[in-house]
Amino acid sequence: MSIELIHVSKSFDTNPIVRDVSVSIATGELFVLLGASGSGKSTLLRLIAGLLELDGGTILLNDIDVTRLSPQQRGTGFVFQNYSLFRHMTVAQNIEFGLSIRKVKRPEREQKVSELLELIELQGYEDRFPGQLSGGQQQRVALARALAYEPNVLLLDEPFGALDVKIRVQLRQNLRAIQQRLGLTAILVTHDQEEAFDIADRIGIIDQGELLEVGAPDQLYRNPTHRFTATFLGTANLLDAHRNGTNIYLGGVKIPAPANTEQFSGKPVEVLARPEEVALSRTQEQSPGSIIGKGIVESVVFAGPALRVTLHLQGEGGKTLQALLTPSDVRDLDLAVGQEVWISLKEYHLLASSVK
Amino acid sequence: MREIKPRSPLALLLIGIAVLYAVVLFAAPLVAIIYGAFKDGIDPIIETLTDPAVLHAFEVSIGLALGAVLINTIFGLVTAWVLVRQKFRGRGLFDTLIDIPFVFSPVIAGYAMIVLFGRGGWLAPPLFPIVFALPGILLAKTFVSLPFITREVQPVLGALSLEPEYAAYTLGASRWATFRRVILPELWTALLYGIVLTFARAVGEFGAVAVVGGNIEGYTETATSFVFRAMNDRNSTGAYVVSLILCLVSLLILFLMNLLRRRMVVSRG
Amino acid sequence: MAEQSQVYGSSNIGEQPPSSRPYVPGFGAWGLRLMAISYLTVFIVIPLLVVNVQGLRFGLDVFWQSISRPEAVSALTLSVTTSLVMTVINTVMGTLTAYVLVRYKFPGKTLFNTLVDLPFAIPTLVIGVMLVLLYGPQTIVGKFLQQELGVRILFDTPGIVIALLLVGYPFVIRAVQPVLLQMDSNQTDVAQTIGASPWTTFRRVIFPIIRPAMVTGALLSFARSLGEFGSIIVVAGNIPMRSQTGTVYVYTQVEAGNMQAASSVSMVLLLVAFAATIGIDMMNWRRHARN
Repeated sequence: MSIELIHVSKSFDTNPIVRDVSVSIATGELFVLLGASGSGKSTLLRLIAGLLELDGGTILLNDIDVTRLSPQQRGTGFVFQNYSLFRHMTVAQNIEFGLSIRKVKRPEREQKVSELLELIELQGYEDRFPGQLSGGQQQRVALARALAYEPNVLLLDEPFGALDVKIRVQLRQNLRAIQQRLGLTAILVTHDQEEAFDIADRIGIIDQGELLEVGAPDQLYRNPTHRFTATFLGTANLLDAHRNGTNIYLGGVKIPAPANTEQFSGKPVEVLARPEEVALSRTQEQSPGSIIGKGIVESVVFAGPALRVTLHLQGEGGKTLQALLTPSDVRDLDLAVGQEVWISLKEYHLLASSVK
Repeated sequence: MREIKPRSPLALLLIGIAVLYAVVLFAAPLVAIIYGAFKDGIDPIIETLTDPAVLHAFEVSIGLALGAVLINTIFGLVTAWVLVRQKFRGRGLFDTLIDIPFVFSPVIAGYAMIVLFGRGGWLAPPLFPIVFALPGILLAKTFVSLPFITREVQPVLGALSLEPEYAAYTLGASRWATFRRVILPELWTALLYGIVLTFARAVGEFGAVAVVGGNIEGYTETATSFVFRAMNDRNSTGAYVVSLILCLVSLLILFLMNLLRRRMVVSRG
Repeated sequence: MAEQSQVYGSSNIGEQPPSSRPYVPGFGAWGLRLMAISYLTVFIVIPLLVVNVQGLRFGLDVFWQSISRPEAVSALTLSVTTSLVMTVINTVMGTLTAYVLVRYKFPGKTLFNTLVDLPFAIPTLVIGVMLVLLYGPQTIVGKFLQQELGVRILFDTPGIVIALLLVGYPFVIRAVQPVLLQMDSNQTDVAQTIGASPWTTFRRVIFPIIRPAMVTGALLSFARSLGEFGSIIVVAGNIPMRSQTGTVYVYTQVEAGNMQAASSVSMVLLLVAFAATIGIDMMNWRRHARN
């Protein structure tokens, strides 16, 4: 069941919440809509479900125009962040709700409930009430309830947001497994970038109602088009530069331009380098990658399996850079605060500059 | 505030005053009425209980009270829904209006009904009489007991989260099915509590009923107007017996109210 | 994966599930609003209008005339005075009772708490009957009060006040109780560790918090007692200029067919009660705004 959004927009009282969003989602894809709070992502999801009415645009489900259809008619499965289970009904009654609305006979309903309880690994919980379940269990039941009547698409609004970190990880991986097994098209809304990376087929970055860019996780991480994407998805080192010929000029330093960046010729750019691509060395000769200058170590912070090193890049208008180093690297370099090192970039990417 | 065991003399004094006040104020009258009802022995009691006028009066009281409950339940629920879920100009004004029956003297209400529906009144109905007839009493009882259901349901409705409703819509349930199966079950206790209060108020009403109904024996006389007439006719035992019965009914209602109120606190907490 | 997607996404888009078909046709949001508004209009707006129109129908002069008749003035004054007296006593005793009910554990407390609502449930007429039985001149109590203290309860002002106290008993209690229940013990505890006496603690810590609820309860009992009829007509009877309150006066005028007199006094009573309700709502508004 494919989903297509064409120029979808929605405003509340003259405040635009969703601005001209267009995207195509393929059958069986798990699409993650990633953005900060208030970016309009939940609103967009509700527009797809039919819980809110569009101001402009079209929504197609499997090439059928559903823009004017009520939520009852669209057949989407929706999982909310919390408190959405029917408190006065048992787990079984919650799950079979969609089926009983459709007047499915009892034996069939019971069969389906057992199947789903097995799928979410809560066998034997039929007669419990939501109040007796933990947060994670409740969300699993909410998922089963949405899946019970075989919806066309699955829509999830920050489903794990209210849960503990460990449960979150486990549940999202379970969700991914279920989704792939069933071949179900799904859109998941979240502000958690780790979650997006973990389970998405493609990620859509949304900021202030605009869908900025769409792509596979590694694609967006390494080669983003927008500055917002670069800073939102992890730490970004951004350096102002100029692209000329086949080189990039940062201050007085010259490094080779990456492939396929001719469109930036003669224009100001920003060089994006992820912390793990920043390399440090004692001498100029030992530097792997393209040297961009010397720097002073400002701090070395323990971050579990790696160490975050903050550096002050020397040069006019010196910048602060973040590097991520393994403990062995730090040991080899005998790194200490105040030390001078050579900084080079192993891999980097270009973004259009917003600076004039 | 935390509950503590009363230890200081001040605490004991306060408790003593509160209890004494309550005892003097209504335990004493309660005892008095039991005494008054039984004072002349069992026979007058039996006589009263088997008097067809009395039985009819009770029928009218309870039957019409149930009618008022029905009207106020349906419309009260709708009103609570509209006030909580819909935004429109004048909503605040309508919300205030609901409290009017609390302070609007029933006698005045009865008077207004006479002006409206009495002979030569503004809206005098051609088909069947309203004033000095049962429909008038029904309207009077509905008026005085109007606010309870709306006021009890409103806060509960307002506190409900919307997610389960939306979930039901996406699962295919129509608005009516969702109301019936998802929202109403959450409102039950508050609704029942409101119904009990409405019934108690409707049964106990006298002022409006006295003005509108006309106290016609065997026709529009309610239990309360029977007591009034009996007092004036010096049929004191009859008055006391019926009063006692009404008291017992009230006590029953009271315990029901208490049960429901405790359930409400539990489910809200 | 293609096989599996046959199982899912099988519901037809655009199809209305069976239970979705409107059970009650045509009841959109507008229908409901219409129902609510007509309900309130029929039962509340119209009676309000009727009374006010009737009162002013024959012009302001006639209105003033009927209001200034000595019986009317006496009735209205009696209503307001007794209601005021009752409100003051009720507010003090009600607050005390609420405090006792929240603060202390004692045997019979649950029963007591339940019985507080009794006046809500008992017909007011029956309250009047009970009082007659207790304080009538032929009873022990009545005789004692009359002969020893020269106080006549029935057919006189004290009887009215007692009846009103009974009828209004729950109002202040039930208004103040929830506020006390929700109050944080920390505040009173701190006051005590600082060395405040119970009275000071009450005056400076508890009282400011419950004051809005006390005012609401007071206004409610005041408005309610202005409109009280059933108990008063039994306890105080109907003696004009002596024990006839506003509502009883209206009743006698209606029975006698003097619609003008009835409506003008009704209007005044309504106005005062209305002012009280608005006062209550304004307090609620302010509280909500502050939150």
